[in-house]
Amino acid sequence: MAASSPSYGPRPWTFYVLAALFALFVIFLYGPMIAVLILSFQGPSASLVFPLRDPSLMWFDELFNPRRTGDVVGAFNRSLPLAVGVMLLTVLISVTAGFAFRRRFKGATAIFYTAIASLIVPGLVLSIGILVTFRYLGWPASWYTSALGAHLSWALPFGLLIMFAILGRLSPSYEEAAYDLGASKWQTVKEVVVPIVFPGMIAVALFGFTLSYDEFPRSWLTVGSKNTLPLEIWTMTTNVTSPALYALGTVTTIVSFLVIALALSSIILIQRKRSRGK
Amino acid sequence: MTTTAAHVSNARPLQESGEIRLVDVAKQFGNTYAVQNINLTIPHGSYCCLLGPSGCGKTTILRMIAGHETPSSGEIYIGKDMVVGKAPVERGTAMMFQSYALFPHLSILDNVAFYLKMRNVGKEERRQKALEMLQRVQLDHLKDRMPAQLSGGQQQRVALARSLITNPKVLLLDEPLSALDEFLRLRMRGELKSLQDELGITFVHVTHTQPEAIALADMVVVMDTGRIDQADTANVIFNKPKTPYVARFMGGQNVLTGTVESNSGGVFKLKSADGSTFEAKAGDETASAGSKLSVSVRRDHVALRRGDGTTEVNSIAGVVDATEYQGSYVKVTINTAGGVFVANVSDRAYFAEPVDTGDKVVASWSTEDVHILSKADTGVAGDPYLDGGH
Amino acid sequence: MTSAPTAKRSMLPTYLQVAPLTIVLALFFIVPVALVVVVSFFRYQMLVGIVPDFTLKNYIDLLSNPTTWTLYRSTLKFTLIVLAITFVLGFWIAYFLVFHVRSLLIAIGLFLVCTVPFWTSNIIRMISWRPVLGTEGLINSALLKMGVIDQPLQWLLYSDFSVVVAYVHLFTLFMIVPIFNSMARIDKSLLEAAVDAGATRWGVIWNVVLPLSKTGIALGALFVVTLVMGDFFVVTVMSGGLSGSATSGIFNDLQFLNYPRAAASAVILLIVVLLIAASIFRLVDVRKELVR
Repeated sequence: MAASSPSYGPRPWTFYVLAALFALFVIFLYGPMIAVLILSFQGPSASLVFPLRDPSLMWFDELFNPRRTGDVVGAFNRSLPLAVGVMLLTVLISVTAGFAFRRRFKGATAIFYTAIASLIVPGLVLSIGILVTFRYLGWPASWYTSALGAHLSWALPFGLLIMFAILGRLSPSYEEAAYDLGASKWQTVKEVVVPIVFPGMIAVALFGFTLSYDEFPRSWLTVGSKNTLPLEIWTMTTNVTSPALYALGTVTTIVSFLVIALALSSIILIQRKRSRGK
Repeated sequence: MTTTAAHVSNARPLQESGEIRLVDVAKQFGNTYAVQNINLTIPHGSYCCLLGPSGCGKTTILRMIAGHETPSSGEIYIGKDMVVGKAPVERGTAMMFQSYALFPHLSILDNVAFYLKMRNVGKEERRQKALEMLQRVQLDHLKDRMPAQLSGGQQQRVALARSLITNPKVLLLDEPLSALDEFLRLRMRGELKSLQDELGITFVHVTHTQPEAIALADMVVVMDTGRIDQADTANVIFNKPKTPYVARFMGGQNVLTGTVESNSGGVFKLKSADGSTFEAKAGDETASAGSKLSVSVRRDHVALRRGDGTTEVNSIAGVVDATEYQGSYVKVTINTAGGVFVANVSDRAYFAEPVDTGDKVVASWSTEDVHILSKADTGVAGDPYLDGGH
Repeated sequence: MTSAPTAKRSMLPTYLQVAPLTIVLALFFIVPVALVVVVSFFRYQMLVGIVPDFTLKNYIDLLSNPTTWTLYRSTLKFTLIVLAITFVLGFWIAYFLVFHVRSLLIAIGLFLVCTVPFWTSNIIRMISWRPVLGTEGLINSALLKMGVIDQPLQWLLYSDFSVVVAYVHLFTLFMIVPIFNSMARIDKSLLEAAVDAGATRWGVIWNVVLPLSKTGIALGALFVVTLVMGDFFVVTVMSGGLSGSATSGIFNDLQFLNYPRAAASAVILLIVVLLIAASIFRLVDVRKELVR
């Protein structure tokens, strides 16, 4: 029977049906992104649809020399450090919290459910809440305070869930062995635990970075007077009717892909090192 | 499905045979053969153990009989039917998985009733029948528990009940005892055997443990990488192994190789590379002078004495490497010029004249206890089973 | 949760370890949400702004306004449609990857292919449907060229259809990943045992795979429901402003700086979302699965 795996008999018909479904899904997933990628090289016709005429880089040029478009470069210069900050904090906070959850402590369940609630609360609701909080406290909203917090409230639960999955697989006997061999608590963490869970930490970092870099609803009311990149794009969708929008899409997608590639390849590299030796 | 409840409750006619016949079966995974040239007949109603180290292909054979793998070539018969290509349920086989594969989301009762549910038997009736089956394995009081709440031994009984409710001609057991502790293993071993006696159906049991196979099986099939080396009764396998591999794997044997010097009066005279000589009674075997021949000598048919060198026939000299007390006997490992030789000396004989590591000894045996192997030993250096068994 | 190697140690380090998480959650989740609840009872006065009070007026206003109900009906409709589509897609794609792809390496590779877009910008992915679905977009021009239609289809973009397309595009991932995780944990011999018992392909799926993927499905549904319910931006962009969502009211009130009523809308939305989440949690012990 097909469903039971290592049989190398002929593939059942369901395989072909589902393979076709999968292929269609991948086309559905990537097709539009590829269309945007191609159209960002549109020529001076400034047409927003196919065909592509006189391919050029002019719309990329326009992005960095803003005349009609907004402050893309400025937005990028805010979004990037914000994403890196969220990434670092997410790794630091969710890894330490993940370790805490390996022991039973009072309030563990409450904190866990709060984290889950933070994950599912609509971003807009949270956005209003943070705005009101900052008003009430008399603090000005800005991308590096209120928006940072808003992003953390969404990235941290993700990071925590990933850490649960990773630490669930980390056998306590590694730590016991390290203690037996005379390692101190800190040495155990540094020499044994962190190297083992490192690939998982990269995954947490990836989530932290991209969730912040692309976050829109939670940023909307919390960034203050200066936009982050997704908000800049949002503004452009209503104002800009040139392929510059596509060019911007291409650029941000490339940045995302670079980050993903960096994260995944470093995970693969580590795993390979582990399975084959250095 | 039009199968009715009445059909299910009909016991399979007794004469329906659970004989299994594999003809030239081979199984390829990618470019490598998992098993090759498998020809085997397991008689109806026998307890057959497939024995071999991990990766030898024994589980592949079991899964092909079960219908969970399709052979790349060859035929498999159960009773009169060629079953290759048939669904497992049409074969009259039931499989008990190594992990037991109890459905974690169903109660014990529903696990056992699963087969009946698949045949659209009504809820009341199937629960009744499943309960009867649970009574047979004495677990009816746990019927509403979930699998995770049971001990390993209990889980295994449930798995057994779930297999038996299909009323199979053949029960296939994949390492059924490997997950149990020593005590339970011995107990379940006895229970499996008596269950098989009671049901009278064919059991095919995969294991990597020699004592398990010897204790249970009417027929032991010893497998080497992808091939059957010998299939026979436990007694024959143990006393008259066919190949050096079987002799080593079953344990309890010393394998010696020599060149045939003469064949007189049905007795071969052999000389090994290190100069020791021994004799073997030629049964049906023929061997010309100058050819290589391997023989086996049971470890417990060896006598030991102190001595420095030997020129006698049927003896070998060496230095004691280790002694290991085993209760009723002492295992003495001797380093000889030709390799490692083991003597299992009864505790009485041993303590009458104890030997210790470093002592020079001579081991000897009688011609009657020498058994000729069909293949000359190719000298499997570093064979992991060299020291297997007892 | 695994128990870490414990002798009797002080609990202090543990509390220090969760402290940063707790502080962030308190400051950027609990306090803000609590303040939203508080403000929702405040009064809004033109020109003056927010006046502390305890009034139910905002709620009464909202609940007596038929627009609120229309918007919720529309949002609920989108939620159910998207839930159904993402579930079917997510289940079968995960099933394909786990049970039909024979090489683990290829399965992981294909899984990554599905998840990579998750890490790219949602807004860009939304906008990217314009050159595909638009009046002069790829689909319309292809259909025109083939002669299937002689007028561009108008309902492809800026319609309920395009809203659903965008939701499915953005959120199917949230179904695939947890279902994939659940399925990957199913012991393959369970399927063989079911086949042994005479289960057909559908029998195996219905009796074994589906019940054992329940937790993944519940988690995926939780994500999809909360994302669609709380969305404002997709529905605005993709419907061309034609369709509203439960959050549209919030948006409008914010434009007029009517924070109390926006807060009341937010509280209602929060309650609806939490009720749905709670019912999903009741069905399946998600936590057990997560922490396993």
